[in-house]
Amino acid sequence: MSSDVRFTDFKSDKQPTWCPGCGDFGTMNGMMKALAETGNDPDNTFVVAGIGCSGKIGTYMHSYALHGVHGRALPLATGVKMARPDIEVMAAGGDGDGYSIGAGHFVHAVRRNVDMSYVVMDNRIYGLTKGQASPTSRSDFETATTPEGPKQPPVNPLALALASGATFIAQSFASDALRHQEIVQEAIEHDGFGFVNVFSPCVTFNDVDTYDYFRDSLVDLKEEDHDPNDYEAAKQVVLDGEKEYQGVMYKNENSVPYHEQHGVTEDMSDLPDGAPEGAMDLVREFY
Amino acid sequence: MVEDLNWAIGGEAGDGIDSTGKIFAQALSRAGRHVFTSKDFASRIRGGYTAYKIRTSVDEVQSVVDRLDILVALTQRTIDENLDELHEGSAIIYDGERSWDADIPEDIMGVDVPLKSLAEDAGGSIMRNVVALGAACELTGFDVEYLDESLEKRFGGKGSQIVENNKEAARLGQEYVRENYDLGDLGYDLETTDNDYVLLNGDEAIGMGAIAAGCRFYAGYPITPATDVMTYLTGRIEEFGGHVVQAEDELAAINMALGAARGGARSMTATSGPGIDLMAETFGLVATSETPLVIVDVMRSGPSTGMPTKQEQGDLNMTLYGGHGEIPRFVVAPTTISECFWKTVEAFNYAEKYQTPVYVVADLSLAVTEQTFEPETFDMDEVEVDRGKLVDEDDVDEWLDAQGRFRAHAVTEDGVSPRAIPGTTDAAHMSTGLEHDELGRRTEDQDDRVQQVDKRNRKVETAKEEETWEYRDFGDPDADTLVISWGSNEGALVEALDYLEDDGVDVRVISVPYIFPRPDLSEEIETADDVIVVEANATGQFADVIEHDALTRVKRINKYTGVRFKADELAEEITTKLTEEVPAQ
Repeated sequence: MSSDVRFTDFKSDKQPTWCPGCGDFGTMNGMMKALAETGNDPDNTFVVAGIGCSGKIGTYMHSYALHGVHGRALPLATGVKMARPDIEVMAAGGDGDGYSIGAGHFVHAVRRNVDMSYVVMDNRIYGLTKGQASPTSRSDFETATTPEGPKQPPVNPLALALASGATFIAQSFASDALRHQEIVQEAIEHDGFGFVNVFSPCVTFNDVDTYDYFRDSLVDLKEEDHDPNDYEAAKQVVLDGEKEYQGVMYKNENSVPYHEQHGVTEDMSDLPDGAPEGAMDLVREFY
Repeated sequence: MVEDLNWAIGGEAGDGIDSTGKIFAQALSRAGRHVFTSKDFASRIRGGYTAYKIRTSVDEVQSVVDRLDILVALTQRTIDENLDELHEGSAIIYDGERSWDADIPEDIMGVDVPLKSLAEDAGGSIMRNVVALGAACELTGFDVEYLDESLEKRFGGKGSQIVENNKEAARLGQEYVRENYDLGDLGYDLETTDNDYVLLNGDEAIGMGAIAAGCRFYAGYPITPATDVMTYLTGRIEEFGGHVVQAEDELAAINMALGAARGGARSMTATSGPGIDLMAETFGLVATSETPLVIVDVMRSGPSTGMPTKQEQGDLNMTLYGGHGEIPRFVVAPTTISECFWKTVEAFNYAEKYQTPVYVVADLSLAVTEQTFEPETFDMDEVEVDRGKLVDEDDVDEWLDAQGRFRAHAVTEDGVSPRAIPGTTDAAHMSTGLEHDELGRRTEDQDDRVQQVDKRNRKVETAKEEETWEYRDFGDPDADTLVISWGSNEGALVEALDYLEDDGVDVRVISVPYIFPRPDLSEEIETADDVIVVEANATGQFADVIEHDALTRVKRINKYTGVRFKADELAEEITTKLTEEVPAQ
């Protein structure tokens, strides 16, 4: 790890194919800056990406990276971190990836509290498959597959995380560059699972949850009298259906990350040329 | 004097059948006798018929036979289920004081022992099975002190009083039989030896092989009959710096295992057929991202939920062909419990040398069956770890392109690319299930596509040339009859050779532990008059593969009742097959 790492070191020379104006540009820039700012470099960082527009992030960033199959970014990232507690692990994906096909993994990754960060680029629509409803789409949001709207309430990822025992819950906005970076940074530094839901507008298919909409409606918890260490206060904020918030909703200062709970602190990549010392004891056990 | 013994205890699930059987099996093993166990169990926690059978001899035993000498029956159903295997001179130990009236067949000796009351005398009715073990010792002339060692091992953790009570229970059972029965006709005299054997099942051997090979990470989801692999590793792998995760489902399990492998750990998951189905999508990612991963499939009766606690070898096609697109993979299939250990070790080396997923395919009969071995069978000094083309700071330069980017998926002559794990300076790169170029980046370029597909497939060609894909050979190598088998059938087949020899039938048995790549058997098949493929499935999946390889038709013995092959049964089937015509071309 070197101290002169710049955020551009996390940038690959591959040009993003995201639509001009896509929220994912800002989301990614903030992630790269946050990684550099927290003292990481590409050689000790592992980014796991999901499927969809957001999943392409592994290609546009430069680090050790794995682009998984749909919905499985979190178990992948979990495996990397368990084998390599010495490596900074960040998972990234979209709302479909994380809250639909991967919803089960989300709940369990949250409660496992592995020391990594998870950034979800939430545009409230399926972009890459060209505009179908996502789990966070509004109930009256009309799309090709839901002409009259999904007619069901959207998933509330923040409340889902809180109910699952999350130790860090935050939300940011791709276009509010500094705040977004600051929040992701805090997620990285958190001792445990740092979850950030990012409003990352889809300029092509979502004409409701737009930059203007978020700019006008977002309430920054930093400017409110909100104590993220206060569980009851967090409950109120994440369940507030009236307002859109950015900032850290909840942070458990007593968080004990998975590796400490389970004593998984060794780098598992280093091996002897033969069976480990003491392996014959395994046989003797069967006498 | 009879030295071989087929013993069983049966009752309802929840009656402690399994642990009682295991205590006796361990005692016999401690006495230097060979042991082979089998289990009949139902898919329920309490109730339903369940049995634990032990075959023991001073000579090696590796299969079950259709004979039962002593049966401890806790229920009438136990007697009914085993009627066919009982013979004149068999004995049934039962508790006449219990509410059921045991219906003992005429030519069989009923040994009525008040199991429950004697157990109560020793300190608690829960020990009634141990009373039965003491009675069994008396019936077979087996020194009850060997039982003591087993009881200490089993109950030592619960305190010395519990151990003493159990020893007492065994002695009360022994004395009761001694005082109340004349055993003149039974005439057992179980010889003991100075040999120190170890007793373990296939799942345990797989887990032990994994640790020996340096596996540090395991993620799995409970499923019969693969769960014992996870149970074995839990609490043991930690001693070697590893970790076990019980994932939320099979999808998570294989993805966690893949993630850990990307981190550079030797990593494994184990499941049964239904779990393999769920893992199929990620299996493709493992192969395309060229990640070393060992996936264990302990087969059970399928399809769908099928018969979860019953034997079958029905997943061969799934492991050989499963997954969308075309996926290079290795499939190894242990044929014995000790091979479960060694093939798992091999699997980790293949996985890392060729950066591919490797299936270890075992079947329920291997997984839950226990067998005795000399400890040297698992000589840890023989274990070799070959990590393949793992690059470090010193040799990373030769794999960088002109822009200094690491070519993680470099096209090479042998099809194997360099592998750098996170933390390796200047080797940061991405991998993906999308088709990609040498740098690991998504591409739809036609040349890249063809080069990468060819490269991945070339690994298999390289492995075919570099590795030895042997088979195990038994019987008469010049026999006109060739029997080919895979998986757990080997033991029964090898013992069937004795029966066949007695009938004057010469047979050569080839047991194949590699499904893909696999040995070329064309010549062996060419020189035989009759070729029979034995497997525990209905359609003959391995026979299909053999026919395809050798361009000929073979005869087939298939069993899909859910029960494993028995030696005497196989001998009979083979003899019958010899009179049949070969199916038309």
